[in-house]
Amino acid sequence: MIRILLLFWLAWQAASPEALQHLQAGANAEKQRRFDVAIAEFKKATELAPTLAEGFVNLGQVYMERQDYGAAISPLKHALELSPDLAAAHQLLGYALLAQGYNAEAIPHLEKVQEQTALGIAQIGTGQLQQAVENLQAALARHPNDPDLLYYLGRASGLLSKQSIDTLQAAYPDSARAHQALAENYFVLRQMPQAEKEFLEALRLRPDTPELHLELGLVYAGSAQWPKAEEQFRAQTKLQPGNAEGAYRLGAALLQQGKAREAGIELQRADRLQPDMPETLYSLGKAAALAGDSVAAERAWTKLLSIEKGTSLAAQTHFALAGLYRKQGKTADAERETQEFQRLQRSTTQPERTQ
Amino acid sequence: MLNGEDPKLLTAIPRAACIPIFLSCIALGLFATAPVSPFETKSPRGLDFVLRNSPTAQKYLIETMPGGVALLDYNNDGLLDIFLVNGGRVTSPMRLPENFDRKNPLYWNRLYRQDRDGSFTDVTEKAGLSNAEDGNYGMGVAVGDYDNDGFPDLYVTSYGKNVLYHNNGDGTFTDVTAKAGVAAGGWSVSAGFFDYDNDGKLDLLVTRYMEWDTKHSKTCGGEWHTYCPPEEFPATTSILYHNNGDGTFTDVSQKSGIAAKKGRALGVAFADYDDDGFTDIFVANDGMQQYLYHNNRDGTFTERALEAGAALSEDGRRLSGMGVVFQDYDNDGRPDVIVTELPREIYGVYHNEGNGTFSYSSLETGLGILSSGSSGWGVGLEDFDNDGWKDLFVAQGHVLDNVEQIDPSLHYWELPLLAMNHHGRFERVDTGSTSPAAGRGAAFGDLNNDGWQDVVMTVLGGPPQIFFNHGGKQHWLVISLRGTRSNRDGFGARVRVNGQTRFATSSGSYLSSSDKRLYFGLGAVETAKIEIAWPSGTRQTVNDVHADQFLEVREPEKP
Repeated sequence: MIRILLLFWLAWQAASPEALQHLQAGANAEKQRRFDVAIAEFKKATELAPTLAEGFVNLGQVYMERQDYGAAISPLKHALELSPDLAAAHQLLGYALLAQGYNAEAIPHLEKVQEQTALGIAQIGTGQLQQAVENLQAALARHPNDPDLLYYLGRASGLLSKQSIDTLQAAYPDSARAHQALAENYFVLRQMPQAEKEFLEALRLRPDTPELHLELGLVYAGSAQWPKAEEQFRAQTKLQPGNAEGAYRLGAALLQQGKAREAGIELQRADRLQPDMPETLYSLGKAAALAGDSVAAERAWTKLLSIEKGTSLAAQTHFALAGLYRKQGKTADAERETQEFQRLQRSTTQPERTQ
Repeated sequence: MLNGEDPKLLTAIPRAACIPIFLSCIALGLFATAPVSPFETKSPRGLDFVLRNSPTAQKYLIETMPGGVALLDYNNDGLLDIFLVNGGRVTSPMRLPENFDRKNPLYWNRLYRQDRDGSFTDVTEKAGLSNAEDGNYGMGVAVGDYDNDGFPDLYVTSYGKNVLYHNNGDGTFTDVTAKAGVAAGGWSVSAGFFDYDNDGKLDLLVTRYMEWDTKHSKTCGGEWHTYCPPEEFPATTSILYHNNGDGTFTDVSQKSGIAAKKGRALGVAFADYDDDGFTDIFVANDGMQQYLYHNNRDGTFTERALEAGAALSEDGRRLSGMGVVFQDYDNDGRPDVIVTELPREIYGVYHNEGNGTFSYSSLETGLGILSSGSSGWGVGLEDFDNDGWKDLFVAQGHVLDNVEQIDPSLHYWELPLLAMNHHGRFERVDTGSTSPAAGRGAAFGDLNNDGWQDVVMTVLGGPPQIFFNHGGKQHWLVISLRGTRSNRDGFGARVRVNGQTRFATSSGSYLSSSDKRLYFGLGAVETAKIEIAWPSGTRQTVNDVHADQFLEVREPEKP
C-alpha cells in the first residue's frame, strides 16, 4: 500500500489530471479486487501518460494479482525502459519471470532488489547451486523454519551434493571416493549387495578411510551379519579411537553376538567420548544386564530415564527395567515399570487391531 | 536290575536292530571320529508325499502357511509312522463356495506306515483318512489318545473345518468329529492334546490365526505384491475343548478364560512352568504379544505373559511368533520357552527363572546371532547327540515367496537351523542338508529305533525332508509312559533323568506332533535314575536303569 501511495505521489508530479483520475480509479478497483476494472483503468492511464513508468508498474501488478504472470511481463519491462532503477518494477518483473520459468532472466532483476528467497529459487533453476544455497540460507536466517525456504534449501543442498558427486564420478570414476559415493547411494536405496561391493572396492583402494569401515559395518548390521559388522566397526575404531559413534556401533555389534563384557567396554568408551547419549546408555544397560551386573544395568537405565522421557526409547527402558527387577524378584518394582511401559507404549504407538 | 517300586510296572523293550536301509549301526561303530553333522538327509522308499500349497497371484494367506507332520505309531508295531497334512488346490481367484479339491488324491493328507525294512507304505485310503473335505484347506495335526484305548488318535486342523479321526485299533480310523463336537471352524492352525484338569482324559486346545477368508483377502507391499502381514486382519480366539470321557468334548473356551483374549495364534506348547502340578499353555502369536495361560487349577486360565516376562522381545517389541517349544534347555529342571520368529526379530528364548517369571535370554544363549536373518517355523529341543543337553532344530524359510526381490539378504528358501547345546549356549552345526527349502512343520522322533532322534520337516511345494541321525557312541534312554490314573500316555508328566527334565507331550513346534516317547541322552553314563511326577500327583522313582534301551514305565495304580 505504501508502495502504491508512493507511486501515486510520483505520478502526481508528472501526469495529467485525467490520467491521474484513471490511476485513482484503477487503485480503487484493485483494492476491491475488481481486477478487470483495475486493468482497464490502468491501461487508460498508460495511454494518457505513456512516459509514466508507474502506470505500467501498476498495470503489471494487477496482472500478477490476477495470477496472469505472462501478461504482467510486458508492462513491467516497459516500466523499466522508462525508469531503469525502479525497484518495484524489478521486484515484480523478477517474480513474474520466475513464475513463468524464465529463471535466468529473472535473476538480474531479483539481484537488483536482493530478493534472496526468489533469487535462490531461480538459481536452483539455472544450476547456480552454491549461490542458491547462500541466498536461501540468508533468507532462512530472517525467516527461520519457513517450510518453503526449508524445502528449497534442502533441494539446493541435495542438488549441490549430487553435482559434486557427479563431477567426482565423471572425473575420477575409479577413485575410492567415487565407489564410496555409489555405495552410499545403494545403501539409501537398500540395495545392500551392491552397497557392500562398492564399499569393499573403496576400501581396497583406500583401506585407511575410517568412515568407509563405519558405513560398511552399517551395511552388515542392517542385514544382521554381526561378525562382519564387528570387524568393520573394529577397524573404524582403530583408525579413529576418539569417534563415539564408532565405539557405540562396535559395542552394539558385540552385544548382538552375546559378547557382553567386550560390548560393555566399548559402550563405556562411547559414553565417555560423548556422555549421556540415550542410545548408548540403553545398550550399556543391556550389556551390563547380559553380563549379570544388575547394579550397572539399573544405573545406566535410570540415568537414561532422567534424560529421555515420553519416547519409545523411554518405554523400552522401562520394559528392560521391569525384566531386571523381575529377575531379582522385586515384583512390585517390576510391575511398576511394566505399567509405565504400557502407559508410554499406548501414547507412542498405534493401538493393536484385535477387533 | 531296576530299583522301581514294582518290577512288574517296568517293561524293557528290546532295542530294535538297526535297519539296513538307514545308516548301519555297525558301520558307525567303525568310524573313529564323529561326522560334522549328526544328520544325513535321505528320502526313504515309499514316502512320495508332496505338500501342495497352490500359490496363486491372489496371494491368499493360507498358501504360505501349511503344513503339519506327525510322527506316531498308529498300529503299535514299535515303528514310527508318518502322517502329513496337505494344503489343497487354490484357484485364482477363489470362487464361493470355496472348493479346495480335496477329493483329488493330489491333495489328500497322507498316512505312511513304516515297514520293517525302513521303507514306507501309503495306507491313507486303507486307513480311512482320504476323506479331507473339499471345503477344508489343510494346516496341521495333533496326536493324542483321547479315549485312552492305547491307540493314538488324529486331529487335523484346517482353514475350514477340523476333523477328529478315532483310531479303531485295527489300522483304520473313523471320522468322529460330529459326535465329538470339535469341528471348530474359521482358520485353525496348531493344536495339541493335554490334560488341563488332571482328570486322566486328554483335552484339546486349537489355535486359530485370524478372521480371514478368501473373499476378504487382499495383497500388500504395493508394487511388490506380497502376502499381507497379520495386522491387516482382525485377531480371533483360540478354542479349548474339555474331554467329557464319553467320546464327546465341550467347548469351554469362554468358561476357561482362553477366549478372553483374542490373538493371532500359530503355535502352541504345554508344560507346567510354575511346578504347581497343572499344565500351562504357551501360545505363539504372530505380530503381537505372546500368550502364557497360567492354569488356575480350577478349570480356568489367566493370561499373564506380560507380567511373567514372556510376552515381548527384550526391547518390548511385538514378535512374529510362529513355532514354539516349551522344554528345559539349560537342565535346571524348569521348562523354558523358545519362540521362532521372522528375520530381524531373533528367536525368543524365555528362560524360566523359577519364581513364575521368565527372562529374555536370546543373546545369552547365542541364538541372537544364529537367527537374526532367518524365518523360523517348526522347532524342537531334542538331544540329537545324546550328550545330555537338548539341541535346537528349526525349520526355516521366509513367509513371502518374493522376499529376495524386496530384500536380497532374506530368503524364501533356507536351510534349517541346527544348533548344538553346549551347557545352555547354542552353536550352529551343519544340518546335513544342502537343499534350501521353504520349511514349515517339523516333528521329532527316532524313526529307525537306534536311540538317536531323527527329524521330519515339511516343505512348501515339495516333499518332506527327512534328517536321519548318524548316531554315535553316547548312551541314551527312551521312555514310554503308561499312565493308569493319569492319561494313558502320561502327557503332562515331568520326567527327570540324571539331572535332565522333559515334559511329556507330543505338542509344540508348528502345526506338528512329535513322537510321544521321551528321549534322554546320557553321554558316557551307562545307568540312569528316573523320577516321574505324574499328572495324577503320583511321584515315582526308578533307580539303576541301564542305558541304551526303550523302556516303558507304568504309573503305579495307587498313589
